[in-house]
Amino acid sequence: MPTAFLPEEYLPIVIFMVIILAFGLGTLAVGIVLRLRRPYQEKLLPYESGNPPVGEPRYRFSVRFYIVAMLFVIFDVEAVFLYPWAIVFDQIGLYAFVEMMLFIAILVVGYVYAWKKEAFRWD
Amino acid sequence: MILIWLILIPLMGGLLAWLFSRGNDRLPRWISLIALIIDFILVLLLWMQYPERAGLTNRSWLVDINLEWIPRLGISFHLALDGLSLLLVMLTSFLGIMSVAASWTEIKERVGFFHFNLMWSLAGITGVFLSLDLFLFYFFWELMLVPMYFLIALWGHENRISAAVKFFLFTQLSGLLMLAAILGLYFVHARGTGIYTFDYTQLLGTTMGSTEGMLLMLGFLIAFVVKLPAVPFHTWLPDAHTEAPTAGSIILAGLLLKTGAYGLLRFAVPLFPHAALDFTPVAMALAVIGILYGAVLAFGQTDLKRLVAYTSVSHMGFVLLGIFAWNELALQGAVIQIICHGISTGALFIIVGALQERIHTRDMERMGGLWTSAPRMGGVGLLFGLASLGLPGLGNFVGEFLVLIGAYTVSIPMTAIAATGLVFATVYSLWMIQRTFFGPREVYLKVPDLNMREMTVMAFMVAVIVWIGLYPQPVINTAKGALNALQKNAGAMTSFGKISYPVSTGADRDTK
Amino acid sequence: MTLNDLAPLIPLMVIAVSSVIIMLGIAFYRSRAFSGLLTLAGIAVAFITLFGVQGTRQVTSLLILDDYALFYIGLILAASFVVALLSSDYLEGRRENIEEFYILLLLSTLGSSVLAASTHFVSFFIGLEILSVSLYALIAYTRNELNIEAGVKYLVLAAASSAFLLFGIALLYGETGTMEFSRMSSGISAQGINKGMLLTGFALVLTGVGFKLAVAPFHMWTPDVYEGAPAPVTAFVATVSKGGVFALLLRYFIQVDMHAYPSLFGAVAFIAVASMFAGNLLALLQKNIKRILAYSSIAHLGYLLVAFLAGGVMRVTAVTFYLVAYFITTLGAFGVVTMLSGKERDADAVEDYQGLFRHRPWLALIFSAMLFSLAGIPLTAGFIGKFYIVAAGAGSALWLLVIMLVINSAIGLYYYLRIIVVLYAQPGHSEVSAVSSLPLTGSLVLVLLTVLLLWLGVYPEPLIEMIHRMTMRF
Repeated sequence: MPTAFLPEEYLPIVIFMVIILAFGLGTLAVGIVLRLRRPYQEKLLPYESGNPPVGEPRYRFSVRFYIVAMLFVIFDVEAVFLYPWAIVFDQIGLYAFVEMMLFIAILVVGYVYAWKKEAFRWD
Repeated sequence: MILIWLILIPLMGGLLAWLFSRGNDRLPRWISLIALIIDFILVLLLWMQYPERAGLTNRSWLVDINLEWIPRLGISFHLALDGLSLLLVMLTSFLGIMSVAASWTEIKERVGFFHFNLMWSLAGITGVFLSLDLFLFYFFWELMLVPMYFLIALWGHENRISAAVKFFLFTQLSGLLMLAAILGLYFVHARGTGIYTFDYTQLLGTTMGSTEGMLLMLGFLIAFVVKLPAVPFHTWLPDAHTEAPTAGSIILAGLLLKTGAYGLLRFAVPLFPHAALDFTPVAMALAVIGILYGAVLAFGQTDLKRLVAYTSVSHMGFVLLGIFAWNELALQGAVIQIICHGISTGALFIIVGALQERIHTRDMERMGGLWTSAPRMGGVGLLFGLASLGLPGLGNFVGEFLVLIGAYTVSIPMTAIAATGLVFATVYSLWMIQRTFFGPREVYLKVPDLNMREMTVMAFMVAVIVWIGLYPQPVINTAKGALNALQKNAGAMTSFGKISYPVSTGADRDTK
Repeated sequence: MTLNDLAPLIPLMVIAVSSVIIMLGIAFYRSRAFSGLLTLAGIAVAFITLFGVQGTRQVTSLLILDDYALFYIGLILAASFVVALLSSDYLEGRRENIEEFYILLLLSTLGSSVLAASTHFVSFFIGLEILSVSLYALIAYTRNELNIEAGVKYLVLAAASSAFLLFGIALLYGETGTMEFSRMSSGISAQGINKGMLLTGFALVLTGVGFKLAVAPFHMWTPDVYEGAPAPVTAFVATVSKGGVFALLLRYFIQVDMHAYPSLFGAVAFIAVASMFAGNLLALLQKNIKRILAYSSIAHLGYLLVAFLAGGVMRVTAVTFYLVAYFITTLGAFGVVTMLSGKERDADAVEDYQGLFRHRPWLALIFSAMLFSLAGIPLTAGFIGKFYIVAAGAGSALWLLVIMLVINSAIGLYYYLRIIVVLYAQPGHSEVSAVSSLPLTGSLVLVLLTVLLLWLGVYPEPLIEMIHRMTMRF
């Protein structure tokens, strides 16, 4: 039976979603209908916190940014893993300690590798 | 062990021929020739060894060897030899020798690899004639095709590639259907008995439903009929025969086609007698159509080699007719026809090959009057042309005659129509001889006659065909035991109210 | 949980540790010989430790190192070993920094091995991702235009397929309440299961796996990736990556008992037939050896699925034997391509092979043997493999599928023959086939593969026996 696909408990969520959508689209629609339209050049510029924009928006970033960003993600995720580990550390004990040390050691190897490959040098 | 040697000798001969071919064209030829002669002597010894030219004993298997190969699947390395296989293996090594000798000067490139392929193809064919395990049979069945493919594709004439591909596709597809049928039989047998085996002797007499039996039989039949070839499946044959080098044509016509006939005799009918019985009218009709169609098309050819190829279709129709008549006379006729057709067609291909080597064409329009410059070639050609049309005193006559008598007891109309095939055969054979050796002389022709080597080859072939024509009894005796065993195995097929005439010498009156 | 429980994982750990050591090694002392040898040693040690695995094989609920897994891991390791050997000479001079190739190779081998051993959706997914992520980099490794295109294509499609897979896993978990394969069937038979949801889950998992296996209709990426990737990597994608996934698929569907779901069975049958036809028919149109082999691999996976659908004792044996034959053949074929490839581009045009028999008779013969094996001609392992598959199909009375297989074998034969004919034709004017001398290691590997191919084709009994023993449990 198709009705079995959607258990009734989910109904409030569906209603909630519908209301959200309706509110968002509704306010936008009201804005379009009511607002004044007097465009001039400054108004059409991209908003950059009051500073006049400089150069093309599709500016090519140095590839080094990406490398740094990736390295950041890797070592940041490491930190994310450390939080749950810290919470259950007292229950698992030594085993958990060894395991996490291994994990960090592998990451350190990666860090050393990146360092030696001069991934952190800017010029 | 001797059966394993029969297969191993060509295999090793081929390998040696290839290994010793570097910078030396003669060595591989000699190695192959010697290996095949050893092979032939072994078979001859086997033939001599058994009382009364084999066959007349009650044992159906003269030699039997059964080794484990893949026991997990019920596959064994089971070779056995009875009178029928003996004759065919003898034919194999005989024609093998002839084909090596015939290509002595024709093949100039990659001689070692050529002989490797030739020998391996012969080994595969020998294996087909000897194997009694269906898996092993299929193994050899496929094995003989690959070297044959190379023979055509590498050393053939103008359109060799397409001919080789066509040949390979036809035979492979039909072979795969046979594989499916073999497996079907394997499981049907296991369902009935709980024994998983590919062994022929155990699979005989498997009980099965009639539709089931018919489907399985058709799987086998298609593979064999494509090889034979019978009419709707013959289209690969003219191309392959025409484009193959001489040795390839000899093996194709003389041996490969025979594996189809052998398969029908040994496997298709005895394993599925009921289905074969039901199929008899269709098979006989196909045979008769093949006889006439092949003859008519042969008459229409201008390419000499293609003409000979089409006569094969016609002649093998007689074999098919004889097999499905399934009484002793017809079967004996089929066996003799198998052997004689192998020899006479082989000889004709050698002559065509010799001609092509000399005048570089196979087009009969550009021949004529060759007799004056090459009388020996003409004489031999005439003899085999006459053999092909079924002149009494030559082997083919005996075969065709026995087939017709045998088939007469089964179906008079079919036999009558098939007999007209003999008339057509006369027309195309004489027409062929007339156009090549007689008639107005073409300008360029001062053709060297057959040399010593070629005459020796021809002498052997002439001797055999005349001998069988005049005194076929040894062949009949050899095959007798095997054929009786086959008939016994295919009980249902024989119980068709067909009369079995004793064919034997005074020494052994049949007691049946 | 003690250290003892982890003991069965030693082979996997050896692989992982060697990749870490190589990474550390590269940091301080960059040397191709060092990295290459360490990789080979790592794989060899891991292979040897496979024989020492005993005791409780189940490591948590995630992994199991039973005989089946050990066999497949062994196969995967052997294939990686061959790829490592083949790539050592290939990579030379194609780009700087070739040492990292080995790290990626080891990691993807690890991923594939994890797949072969996993009994849980989590380990399945982790294995798959370890495998795929390293493959993205491997495919684009030599960084020419084709490489990168292939790498990106593979990245996008693999990511999409992972998404399908995850969704499917989520649905299955939602319905059955477990991610363990062995508990899944009892979860399914429990009361109040939503059949529709379950089948959707299966279908999505199948889609995800189908992408990885490159079966029709999920095969579109295959020819491009095969063509674009460096030849040894193509061999790796064709063997190691597919082997691991197939091993997992087989284990999963045996434990869940796929035959209980006619619609699922029908879907797999459809995939099998579609793959056979798509692979073989499209291969007819190709002029590039790598693309032909890509399409042919699609068809071969279709054949494998026929055996996969067959029930009974023969299924696992047939699939495993065929995979072994397929591994040997594919490695051999791509090995030849690798050996002939010049520095400018891979030897992948059919013309490059014209007349190969004249100037490199042995290589031409080896290539012919591999192609004959792919076509299933006797004396080669491919023949026994195909025989086994037809036997498995016939044993379960899947006649329609068997007939399809037969027809497709004939179609396949046509394009294999086309290559073989070219090998023996008059030599053309290709610069590729005139590579001066062949590297020794590669030649030895190829000879070894050919010997193995013929040996299995003539005397398959020992391998069959071995496979049979390992599959007793199923």
